[in-house]
Order: sequence, then structure tokens, then C-alpha cells
Amino acid sequence: MKRREFILLIGGGLVWPAIARAQDGAKLHRIFWVSTQSEPDPFLDGFREGMRALGYVEGRTVTLETHYAPENPQALRKIVSELPRGDVDLVVSSGPATRVMTAITDVPVLFALSGDPVALGVVKSLAHPGTNFTGSTFLSLELAGKRVELLKDLYPKLRKLAVLSNTDHPGEPLEWRATLESCRNLGIDAAYVPFCGAREIENGLMAAGKVNADALLVFPDAVTLVHRARIAELAIAHRLPSMFGWSEYCDAGGLLSYGANQRTTYFRLATYADRILRGEDPSDLPVMRPEKFELAVNLKTARLLGIDLDVSSILFRASKVIS
Amino acid sequence: MTDGAAQSSSCTMPPRRSLFCKYFATLFVAAVVPLILGAAIEASFGYRDQRRQISAVLQADARAASDRIEAFTDGIRDQLGWMVQLPWSAGDDAQHKIDALRLLQQVPAIVSVSLLDETGTERVFVSRLLLNRTGRGIDMSTDPAVQGARGNKVWYGPVQYQRDSEPYMRVAVAGSLPAAGVAIAEVNLKLIWDVIAAIRIGETGYAIVVDDSGHLIAHPDISRVLRGRASSGSFGRIKHLVGAASGAAVITGERGNPVVALSVQAADLGWTVIAMQPTSEAFASIRAALWRSSILIAFGVLIALALAYWRAHRMSGPIKQLEEGVERIRTGQFEHRIKIFSGDEFQQLALRFNEMASELAISQQKSARIERLKQFLPSQVAELVEHSHELLEAQRREVAVIFGDLRGFTAFSTRNEPDVIMAVMRDYYAAVGAVTTRHEATLIGFDGDGVMLLVNAPVTCEQPATQAVRLAIDLQMTVQSLAGRWCDAGHAIGFGVGVAMGPATVGTVGYNGRLDYTAMGAVVNLASRLCNLAKDAQILADPTIAGKVRDSVPLASLGQRNIKGYDQALEVFAVASAGLPLKLPGSAQRGREKEPQDH
Repeated sequence: MKRREFILLIGGGLVWPAIARAQDGAKLHRIFWVSTQSEPDPFLDGFREGMRALGYVEGRTVTLETHYAPENPQALRKIVSELPRGDVDLVVSSGPATRVMTAITDVPVLFALSGDPVALGVVKSLAHPGTNFTGSTFLSLELAGKRVELLKDLYPKLRKLAVLSNTDHPGEPLEWRATLESCRNLGIDAAYVPFCGAREIENGLMAAGKVNADALLVFPDAVTLVHRARIAELAIAHRLPSMFGWSEYCDAGGLLSYGANQRTTYFRLATYADRILRGEDPSDLPVMRPEKFELAVNLKTARLLGIDLDVSSILFRASKVIS
Repeated sequence: MTDGAAQSSSCTMPPRRSLFCKYFATLFVAAVVPLILGAAIEASFGYRDQRRQISAVLQADARAASDRIEAFTDGIRDQLGWMVQLPWSAGDDAQHKIDALRLLQQVPAIVSVSLLDETGTERVFVSRLLLNRTGRGIDMSTDPAVQGARGNKVWYGPVQYQRDSEPYMRVAVAGSLPAAGVAIAEVNLKLIWDVIAAIRIGETGYAIVVDDSGHLIAHPDISRVLRGRASSGSFGRIKHLVGAASGAAVITGERGNPVVALSVQAADLGWTVIAMQPTSEAFASIRAALWRSSILIAFGVLIALALAYWRAHRMSGPIKQLEEGVERIRTGQFEHRIKIFSGDEFQQLALRFNEMASELAISQQKSARIERLKQFLPSQVAELVEHSHELLEAQRREVAVIFGDLRGFTAFSTRNEPDVIMAVMRDYYAAVGAVTTRHEATLIGFDGDGVMLLVNAPVTCEQPATQAVRLAIDLQMTVQSLAGRWCDAGHAIGFGVGVAMGPATVGTVGYNGRLDYTAMGAVVNLASRLCNLAKDAQILADPTIAGKVRDSVPLASLGQRNIKGYDQALEVFAVASAGLPLKLPGSAQRGREKEPQDH
């Protein structure tokens, strides 16, 4: 046994210098960033930060070409069909754009979804995507009920909840259903305030102000994220305790948020981008899920709304407190 | 012809090669084998030491990882222990819920906590994802977690992969009082990743954690874990191979490359931490040593080669020169000289060889000269020259001896001046020599006016007697014609001849290069006596000659005569040749005149 190992060692040792180190060197990778929202794009910033942390230099080792088609999935479809195939190393799609990306079959596609990618049909399973798609999911669906519960923990008098939702978002109906069920369990009336895309956000906000609810729940989504400050303002104006999906909303004046740190998620997406650029097969890269969720509270908003945080368990549960 | 071909082929076969091979083999053994041996010993010892050291490093790292994983699970266990310190009482649920929420805040890996009362009924459930529940809920008393915790205080569930991707495990802790109930936590094992990812063994070594059945729980590359239960099968093999070995084992790693691996058991959980390092890195120092040795060996081989070539060349060059020299000598180029100045035995050998060649040249010259000479010599002489050695050896054989003697010479020499005497002698000697040569006889020598000739020695002839008689006749006639001239000049000189035949010892006698060929025996005396008996112009022969030549030469018996030295009288014959005047008046006178002077 020992001798055989010894021979194995010597054999391996002699072969070793011949093994070329796989170094991509100075190859310029081309990445398409496809999104249905408009700039400024917080997701793109997170991704860029991740790529920078992995040693990529934009313009030298990687080029990020952004393709935005705000509120117009049809226009995005056109961009996709005009993709200069064979020339693009990777497509990264954010949010609803992923739905359009299903047409791509020969370029690896990384996604960051709120919903379930298996339900969307872009991967076969979380462990083995089996397609040219992989990425991460925010588990928004699983957290939908939790958000209602947290809102109720903070504001026990909650009876009627306005739910602002962008119907253009993939998986939105599932999210609404989970929310509705949670409201039923907690004895809350849910007032559904749907809107479709950025064009209708104004209408959505006006409608939300009119439902005469006790609190506001906003589904995390690129459109609401872009308009987070306006939504927060509206909530404060109507004295509505508000609940969001990501802490960025609280930074902009939202009262509460519960969800995965999306910046971390995009950061991780960059590691997958790196691995794919190094030649790994996306079909072998399991879909990532966040394991840490942050509860953010904006103390200033709470003060404005006159909510006494000391009586609830929210404060000690919060992982991020904005004052 | 074939023999020659074989010889030539053996000559053309390169002797240098075999010499080279021998030299190379010797130098190789001398220079390279110790090197290889040294390298092998160094490598094997180095390997053993390195292996021991790697074992220690891997052991330490695996133990550290195992400790940290145990600390992770112990932390969860201890935190859960806080949940089950006090017995349940009515209206306690809210407080328990706060505690449970605090626990979630405290331990990020816990996804949800269930608190059960002493009956096993769920009283509080808090979760990061699902809605919290308080109040009497489902009865979980038959749950293996509850039963395990009740029996053992702490229970660690099997690893389960949520949606066949994320590894989860349930941990249950029962309070020391049964009334305190049981706390069950669901733990996301992805968070062990931090522990494992922090472990770096050398540059590329790492640690993994597998469960009892070999399924992957933690790996620095988290996506390997997320691939779920199905694709973590290969780690079962690694766990088995590493577990079977005592200490570090060299196995084929997950990427198919050889790795050194060592496993450590995490006691409570039944998990195994496997620390591994690619052999390429682990044994880099040995490999470097091996490379060094290889280069040294290669260098040694080159030196041995060069040395062998040089030595063999030094050796085979002179040999080749000598061989060529021999070949040239063989073809007769005696002037060829070998030039070797190696200062060793070769030079000595070349010197000897050159000496030999020069001596051969001299001998060849002599032989060539003789060859040339032979063309101008009578065959007997030529033979004598060629075979002088054997011919001149002392031997006993039948010879004919001829003696001649001038008559009246004493009186002549006293009466005349020395220059007249010398002139007569010169004529006489010249005549005798000419006759001797003509008849291929051997001139033994002159003795004043006498002469002795030998036939059939050293050169043999067919009929010595006849030849001797003919010579005698010719000699008598020649000298008689000279005597006629001397008579005309006023000198009364005659000539008598005696011929005898018989056995005699012939050979060379003498000293220091002054050698004479001569004959000894009775026949010589007899011939001398007969010569003395003979009158002028007379040839006397003994009975032996007479018997042999009777048929060809007319003889006249002179009857029995007493001869000095012989007891009995011998019959003496006189040769009566046609050309020989038996009795000339003048000569008879001269003979008579002479006789009293001689005796």
C-alpha cells in the first residue's frame, strides 16, 4: 500500500509541471445586463461591486453592456433576439426580464428572482438547474406571510392592510396568494392595490391612499424599489405603518422591511458570473438561496407615525435599525 | 578466401564500441548508481518524514475544524438548553415566545424553534420564514426528536436536504425537569460553511464535512453542498477510503487528483471532518528534491558518457594506430612508423613496434639482396647462400679430394726474383681458380705451390668421381699449358695431381669469423700421397675413383705401391686421358729434374 502510494506520488509529481495552469489572462469578457427597469439601477451596482471584489476591472477584463427596456418587455424581447450570439459570454437578468430571457438557449443566463425559478420554468431543480440558467432567488414568496406577521407584531391594531403590488412582476400572483392566506390567519383584511409597471405606479399610489387601510404592504420589486421614497412619503402622509421587502426601502423612509440583503445576493451572483466565465457549466451550479434575513426598522418614521416600538418585540429582533 | 573474409570482417568490427560499452558500464556503475541510490534513499526518507509531518498538520486542522463544528452545535444545544430550564405554567406562552425570538436573534443558523410542554404538545413555534404560533398546537410526542431528547437529553437529527438542495438538521434538547418540556430547533447547516471555508491547509488544501452515510454537509465550495444528497455520493467513497487508513492516506480526490487526506470524527454528531491537501502541494518539497536528484543524475550520466567516450577514444585511438601499423607492415611498408606520445604503455608499445619494423626492414633488405644475388650465382652457390647454414654444418659424407702440386717450384723460387715468383703464382692461382669454378668444385685452399680441391661437399653433385677426374684432367691440362709458357720463359716447372675418394668429415672450422671449410679423413691424406707420387703431368687415382670412372675415363694401373701411413700396398691408377700426354719429353725431363728436389 505504502509503496503504491509512493509510486503514485512520484508519478503525480513528475506529471505536475506539465499541467498548465488555467489562466484566462487578459481576455475581455462581455456581459449583457438586461433589465426591465431604468437607471439608476441598485442591482447593477451590487453586481458591479461583486465583480470588482473578484478582481475584474471594467473595460479591461470585463465589459458590462446594459440593456434597459423600462415597462416594455416587448422591446426587451427584441434586444434578446438581436443578441450577437457567440460574442456574449454571459447574460445577467434582473427581475421580470428573466421571463423574456427564456428565449436564450446558447448563452449562460444568470438571474436574480424574487420568486421561484422552478415555478417560472427556467431551471429544472434548485440543486441541478440543468439548463443554461442559474442564479439566486430572494425567497420573497416564503417571506410574504412573515412580513404581514411582523407588521401585526409592530402594530397589533392592524385590521385592514393595503397591498401594493406590481402585476408585471413574475410570481406576483403567488406572492399575493401567500399574503392573502397569512392575512386570513392573522384576522386582517387585505386590500389588493395592483398596478402594472412603472407607468401605473402613480395610479397605484393614489389607489393605495384611498383604500383607508391601517397599514401598507409593498411587494419588493424593481419598480417599487425605484419609487421607494415616494411610496414611503405616501405612507407617512397617510400615517400608514409600512412594510417592505428590502432594507433599501427603510433607508428611503419605509418603516419596516424584512428580507434577504439583496446587495449580498447580487454580490454572490457575481461569484457565479466569475465561475461561469471561468468555464463552469451553469447547469451544474445550484440556485442560491439566502440564509440570512434582515429586519430593518426606521426609528425616524416610527416616531413620525407615533408608534411606540418599546412595547413590541420588534426592536430586539431587528438586525438593522435606522435612526 | 572465406577465412580471409572472416578475418577482415573481424578486423572491421569496431572494437571501439565494445571498449566504449565496457568503459561506459564501468563509469555508469561508478558514477550514476551511487547517485540514484542516494536519491532514492533521500526520497524515501523524505517521503516518510513529509508524510508524518503532513499527517500531523492534517490532524491538527481536521481536529480544529471538528472542534469548531462541535462548538457550533454545542452553542445551539446550550442555547436550546436555556429554553427548557423552567417548567411550563399557564399563560407562559408569551414569555416563551419572546425567549424563542431572542434565540433566533442569537443564533443565525436556527431557522425555527418549537417549544413543547411535558406532554409533547407544541406550545410555541417561531420561525424566520413561517408564521409564528403560540398556544396548544400539534402533538409531537411521537416525533423521534422528542423521544430522542427525552431519552438522551440531546438529540441530533439526520441531515436533510430541503428541496434536495440545502442541508438542514434538527436539534432537540430536553430540560432536566420533565415538566420543562423539549425545545426543537431547525438548523440551516449552510452556516457551517463559514467554519469550513476558513480552513486552509497550505495553499490549496481544505476540509470538508460529511455525515455518517457519506453525504456532504460542508465544503468550501458551497455549491457542491447545494447539489444535494444525490450528487454527494462520491464523498462516501472518500470517507470510506480515508476512514480505513490509520493516519493520512493518499487517495484520489473529488476532482480526480491525488490528495493526502485524514479524517477526524466529530463525536456527538457522527459526522466526519476530512482534511485534505493535493499531493502536488503536500509533497512539493520531496518532488523538488527528486527533481534536483534527477538533474544531478542526468548530469552524472552526461559526465559518465563524456568520460567514457574520451577514455575509450584515448584507448582505441592508439589501438587503431597500432592496428593500422601492423596492417601496413603486413603489406610491406616497413618505413611506416607509429607516432604515439601518450606517455604510457601505448607509447612504449609503439616504440617497440617501430624497432621491430626497422629490424624487419633490414632483414627484408638482406633477403632482397640475396634474391637479387641469386640470379647471378651458379645454382650450387645460390643454394649455398640460401642454405649455407645446413650445408656448412659438420657432417660425414663421401667426397672426392683432389690435390695438385707444382714440380720444381723450390728450385725455381730460389733461382728467381720474388716478383717473377709472384707472377708465376698469380697465373697458377688464377688458372686453378678458373678450373675449380668451371667444375663447380670447392677450393679448400692453396698451400704455397699446392692446392686442395673438394668435390661433393658442401654442394652435392651427381657423379663426384667422374667430375673429380674431369676436373683433375682439366686442371692438369690448364696448368700444363701454363707450364709450357713458363718453360719458354726458362722456368722448369711441372704439375702433378692426386685424386682420391672416400668418406670424410666436412664442415667449417675456425674462430671469430675467420672460418674455413675443410675436410678431414683418410681420403685427404690418400689424395695428398697420390699427388706426391704423381710425376709431372701425371694424374694418379685411388682404387675407389678408378672403380667409379673406369667406364668413362681410360685408366692405367701402375700396380701396387706402398703408401706412407697405409699398412698394405694400394693399387694406383694413372689417368690416361686422350687430351693428356702421358709422357711428354720435356715434361719427363722436368719431372725427373724435379723429383730429387722434392724428396
